[in-house]
Amino acid sequence: MLRAIGLKLVRLVPVLIIVSLATSLLIELVPGDPILAIIGMEGDASDYERIERELGLDQNVFSRYVDWLGNIVQGDFGEQITRPGVKVADRLRQTFPVTMQIALMGMVLALLISVPVGAWAAYRAGTRFDRLSSGVAFGIISIPSFLAGLLLVFMFVFHSAIPRYGALGLGLAWSLWLLWSAGRARRDGAKQALIRVAAAVVVAGLTVWLTNRWPSFPRQGFVRWTSDDGRLENLRSAFLPAITVALTEIAVFMRLLRGDMQATLQEDYILSARAKGMPPVRILARDALRPSSFSLITLAGVAFGRLIGGTVIVEAIFRLPGMGDLIVNDGVNTGDFPVVQSGVLILATFYVVLNGAIDISYSYLDPRLRRAR
Amino acid sequence: MPADTVPAPDAGYVAGMVVDPLSHAHRLMRVAVGLIGGVAAIAAGLMMLTDVHAGYRVVLTVGGLVLLYFALDSGGKIVWGPLFETGLWLSVAWVAIVGLSAAFADFLPFAEARDASATIFGDTPTLKRPDLLSANPLGTDRQALDVLGGIVYGARVSLQVSVLAVAIGIIAGGTIGVVAGFFRGKLDTGVGVIVDSLLAFPPLILLLALASVMDRSPRNMAIALAVLGIPTYIRLARVSTMVFAEREFVLASRAMGASRRRIIFRELVPNVALPIFSYAFIIIAVLIVAEASLSFLGLGIQRPDPTWGNMIAAGQDDFDRHPHLVFAPGIVMFLTVFALNRVGEKARELWDPRQAKL
Repeated sequence: MLRAIGLKLVRLVPVLIIVSLATSLLIELVPGDPILAIIGMEGDASDYERIERELGLDQNVFSRYVDWLGNIVQGDFGEQITRPGVKVADRLRQTFPVTMQIALMGMVLALLISVPVGAWAAYRAGTRFDRLSSGVAFGIISIPSFLAGLLLVFMFVFHSAIPRYGALGLGLAWSLWLLWSAGRARRDGAKQALIRVAAAVVVAGLTVWLTNRWPSFPRQGFVRWTSDDGRLENLRSAFLPAITVALTEIAVFMRLLRGDMQATLQEDYILSARAKGMPPVRILARDALRPSSFSLITLAGVAFGRLIGGTVIVEAIFRLPGMGDLIVNDGVNTGDFPVVQSGVLILATFYVVLNGAIDISYSYLDPRLRRAR
Repeated sequence: MPADTVPAPDAGYVAGMVVDPLSHAHRLMRVAVGLIGGVAAIAAGLMMLTDVHAGYRVVLTVGGLVLLYFALDSGGKIVWGPLFETGLWLSVAWVAIVGLSAAFADFLPFAEARDASATIFGDTPTLKRPDLLSANPLGTDRQALDVLGGIVYGARVSLQVSVLAVAIGIIAGGTIGVVAGFFRGKLDTGVGVIVDSLLAFPPLILLLALASVMDRSPRNMAIALAVLGIPTYIRLARVSTMVFAEREFVLASRAMGASRRRIIFRELVPNVALPIFSYAFIIIAVLIVAEASLSFLGLGIQRPDPTWGNMIAAGQDDFDRHPHLVFAPGIVMFLTVFALNRVGEKARELWDPRQAKL
């Protein structure tokens, strides 16, 4: 077991070396003189020399890479070229938590929504619910995240009446349907009917409460987790960005889990659980979920890369001070290479290590894999 | 609609059954009513009720579209049998429309869509609302440029860039993948490390890194997007090659003394090519989104050349009052990506043997 983990960790090393080498050599791809591209028309010879030293362009490629990596390992990412004196490391420390919060919230939201819907679609394969949710998922996958973000802004910020009264209508319809089915459930006993009536009342009450206290979301800006405005403000400003990046993942996870779950539900032990009279929720959550979730967990690693890419987009839409904003506005747009290099390196390293960790945790989840290899 | 749900055969149309003429007429009636009603609702929603609140018009148009879809669906099933896939053929039609109008954009009668200096003294109003019967069917933007024309020229850029990128990706990635999968050994390990490293960058971050050092011309954009797609193609080609290299016909060819070059080019490549091509549509869809995302961030192709991404980015500043600036290009883009995904899923079902087995 330990040996297997060790082997997997060792395999990460060449990848990390190549990633850092590629990031470091990025500047070689600039057409013409990169320093001239940065200082533009206004710089003089002293600027030129300063930037040349800052970027290490006065050394050869190899020693530049070693110097750069050595500094980074010690936590020194250099200074921003366009704003001398501002340490890149400080900027990274400010922006990294914002990006991670959005990505993490997106991941949690995606799992919270996709797992129940996907499981239920698999349990009810072929029914109207299954076909509807699969069709919607296929549609959602085709919505680019910046379009989804703008659509959410349009609905939740500019025209909040649409989702608000939409939710009211849907909630009341659901509660009416529950009442109607309570009438039908009477023949199964008064208890069944009573449960449904109670559920209908709860749904109607929640709907009215939600419509009354419909939250308003800010068009842009971000309140930090640690700020004085409190945690609730933070969650409010992060909600729309998080749901934007989560949308694609909801659809992808749902389709994947539905497929795997459907295969699991064919197994004999599920049949025996059903024969014993276990309720479907218990069968799905206790018996079927774990063996169906392996590819979901693998995919969640890949999805995190998409989520980080997605946060770059939502940071632009919602003007969040995250790493995407740093890379795009302070880095690429002004040609500030240390910023681009550091940001890209941090995100890529995080992504590699995360996928390595998922690879390892995989063998904990699936006992069959523990002895393999 | 997922590929694995078989459409239920309609009553009276199961193979071998005699069709009841009365029900046939009834069904035709239903199709006709649906077609007429759908078209009428769309026409009313889009063109006629111009003084009604926009929300109701949108609801009416969407309702008409749904009606039209169901009418076309049952009509198609009457004509081509119960297995007719309406969504698929509508997708093919949409891709064809977008492709053809992009190809012949120069010959289509659009109002000025690119040159802002031509509209500055013209009499076209800025931020004009969409009106299908006017010279600017989808309205105009802040500089009085035609939105529909912009969408079509944007489609041209998007399709050119992403098709070129996929072509580069297939040729480069496919070659590397086949070679690695055939020779295995150290070469394969080396290719594996490089693929892993390319995949170690989150996709959009890799594009950002490339955009930071490249001129933003369509050609460079295609190269950057190709870099994004190459690892996928290497993996696909490598796995397919490894599967086919174990097959009997390769063994037979080897036993007859075929050279390695002959085995690769005559036995493996023809078999590997089809599953790889079957992914092309889906990857084109992914790359269209990637290109648009980059344009949206202002790091892709720049104005005055319109692309879907930079049109949406330009429109987002005042889209609370002029939502057509965002949603007109947005809906076209969504439909294109959706259609490509739908066609791509079918292509994979038909041509990718691994997919067919599942």
